[in-house]
Amino acid sequence: MTSPGWRIAKLVAVLAIIVWSLGPILIGVSTSLSTQREVNAIPTRWVPHHPTLQAYHDLLGGTSNQRAGGTVTEAGTFTRSIYNSAILSAVSTSFILIFATMAAYAVGRLRFRLGGAVLALLVGTMIVPIFVVVVSLFKVLAEPPVGPSLIDTKGGLVLVFIATLTPLATWLLYTQVREMPTEPEEAALIDGCSRWKAFVRIVVPQMSSGIAAVAAIMMLSVWGEFLIPLLLTQTMNAKPVTVQITEYVGKYTTNYPILAAAGVLALIPPALLALALNKRITGMLAGSS
Amino acid sequence: MTATGTITLESVTKHFPGGVVAVDDLSLEVQPGEFMVLVGPSGCGKTTALRMVAGLEPVTEGQIRINDRVVTRLPPRDRDIAMVFQNYALYAHMTVRNNMAFGLKMARMPKDEIRRRVDEAAVMLGLTELLNRKPRQLSGGQRQRVAMGRAIVREPSAFLMDEPLSNLDAKLRVEMRGEIIRVQRRIAAPTLYVTHDQTEAMTMGDRVAILRDGLLQQLGTPDQVYDRPVNAFVAGFIGSPSMNLLPAGLEADVDGCAISVGGARLAAPRLLEQRPALRGYLGKPVTLGIRPEDFGTDGDGGEIDVTVARLESLGSELVAYLAPAGMAADTLLTARLERRAALTEGSATRVNVDVERLYFFDPESGAALT
Repeated sequence: MTSPGWRIAKLVAVLAIIVWSLGPILIGVSTSLSTQREVNAIPTRWVPHHPTLQAYHDLLGGTSNQRAGGTVTEAGTFTRSIYNSAILSAVSTSFILIFATMAAYAVGRLRFRLGGAVLALLVGTMIVPIFVVVVSLFKVLAEPPVGPSLIDTKGGLVLVFIATLTPLATWLLYTQVREMPTEPEEAALIDGCSRWKAFVRIVVPQMSSGIAAVAAIMMLSVWGEFLIPLLLTQTMNAKPVTVQITEYVGKYTTNYPILAAAGVLALIPPALLALALNKRITGMLAGSS
Repeated sequence: MTATGTITLESVTKHFPGGVVAVDDLSLEVQPGEFMVLVGPSGCGKTTALRMVAGLEPVTEGQIRINDRVVTRLPPRDRDIAMVFQNYALYAHMTVRNNMAFGLKMARMPKDEIRRRVDEAAVMLGLTELLNRKPRQLSGGQRQRVAMGRAIVREPSAFLMDEPLSNLDAKLRVEMRGEIIRVQRRIAAPTLYVTHDQTEAMTMGDRVAILRDGLLQQLGTPDQVYDRPVNAFVAGFIGSPSMNLLPAGLEADVDGCAISVGGARLAAPRLLEQRPALRGYLGKPVTLGIRPEDFGTDGDGGEIDVTVARLESLGSELVAYLAPAGMAADTLLTARLERRAALTEGSATRVNVDVERLYFFDPESGAALT
C-alpha cells in the first residue's frame, strides 16, 4: 500500500482537507485585516496591501453607521456576546456531563427493570428534529409552570441545551461504559466502597478520556448553536456570539472586515478548547492500559 | 500469625435468569489458615461460587458465613474479605501506593498506619521501588503483586482469588504460585482460590474441591483426589496427562477374574477380594482407568499389545501415544515411560500395566468402583 501512486493520492487528499478546512479561516483573517475598500477591490486581493487592525478596533470599540458602511457596532456588545457564549457552553456542558455520565453508567452497568427501554427512549429523542418542538418549547419557556419567563435568559437556554444534548452525550458514554472492565469497580466494592463511592472514585476516573472527548463535543455544539438562541433571545442578556454576528450584516451594505473580525474572534475560544482537549484525549487514549 | 477465620458455604445455589443452574447445593468449609482450591472446567460454576462469597453475585438459596458471621445478604464492603482478580483490576489512575492504600482509606484508617502497612506489604512483595508508579508502567507479574498487596494490607478475614495466574506466562506462573503460597502462609487467612488448571490445584491447595456443572464432585487433599477419585470425571480431570479411560469387561476366570480390554486380557486373580464393589460387574461392561505413569515396558504385570502412534520426549521422560490392538481406531492410550524405553514411532510393541493400580468406574454413572 506504499506505492508512489498511493502516496501521492494520500498527499492530495490531505492537502484537500487542509485547504477545505483552513481556507475559509485564512480568508476570514485576511479580510479582517483589510479595509472595506480593499475587500471591494477588483481583482481580488487575497492578502491586504495595507494590513490594519481597524476592523477589530471598530468591532470592540464601537462605530457609527456612516464610517463602517452599513454595519453598526457598539462598544462592549461583542465581548458581552462572547461572554454569554462562554457561560452557556461551560454551564450546559457541566450539567450535561453530570447527567450523561450517571445515566450512561446506570443503563450500561446496573441491572434494573426497563433499563433498555430507558436507553431506547433517550436515544429516540435524538431522532426528533428541534424544529418540531420549537413552538411548544417557546411557549413552555415563556410561561413556565413556576417562576418568571425564561425567554431571553441564560438559564432558559441552558435548560434547552441540556435537554437536547444529554441524549447524545449519554449514548457516547454508554458505549464506553459497555467496553469498560467491571473488575476495578468490583474491587472497589470489596475494598469498602458503596456503589456511589465506587462510581465517583473509580468509574468516573476510568471514564475520564471519554468524558473529556464528550465535553469537547458538547462545548463545541453549544458554542456553535444558532437556531435555538436566535429564537429564544432578544437582548444582550443572553445573546451568544453566533447570533450577535448576524447583527453585523447591514440592511443595504455590510462592512466585511468587521464581520470577518467578529468571525475570527468567535473562532478563537473553541479552537483553543479543541487544541487543549485534543491533547488530553489522545494522551489518555495512548496511555490507557 | 495464628490462623483464624473460616469460610463456610451451606447448600449454596445460584440460578441465573433463563433457568441455568450455575451452582447447585454447594457446601464446603475452608478451615482456619487453609488454602482451598476450587477447580473445574470452564462453565462449571466455580467463579460464580467465588463471586457469591465476595457478594458480587446474589445467592439464590443457601447460606454463606465468613468467620461464623452470616454474610449471605451483606454488600461486599461489609464482608471483610479481599479478592484478587484474573485481570488484576488495578485502579489505573492511581499509583501503586494508592492502589494498595485505597481499601484502608475507605476504612478511615490513620495515615501513619496506612503508610506502615503499605510499606510492609511492599517489602514482602518486592514492590518498594515501584510504589510511585502507575499500573500501566508495570509488567504483568508486577501488577499481579500489586493486586496481592492490595489484598493483604487489608488483613481481611478471608481471601478470594479468581484465576490470578492465568494471565501470566508459564515461567512467571510457577514463580507466583510459590509466592502466593508463601504470602498466604504468612497471613494465615482462609483462602478460596479458583482455577481451571489442575496443576495449580494440585500444587497449591491444602484441599481441592472439584466442580462440574455446578455440582461438587469431590473434596479432599490433592493426594486423596488423585489416588481415590470418586468418579470418572475427577479421575480424568486431575492428573496430567489425563488418566486413560477405556471400555472394558470383567470376566470370571479359573484364577478368579480377568479384565478384557480390546484384544488384551489382563489376569487379576485377587481383584474381587480387593474391590468387593466389582463383584456385581462380572460379565458386565465397566470403564477402566489407567494412569499414564502406571504403564511400563519392563515385562511386569498385565500385557497390552499396542502400536506406537507418536512419541514426545520431555527430556526427563517419554510420553507415548499408543494405539491398542483390538479397539476402535481412534483410541489412543497416553503413557509416561522412562526416557530410555526403546520405542519407535509406527512399531508394534507390548506394554505392561500393574493390575493392582487400575481404576474402575461404572460406565453409566461414572462412579468409582472400589
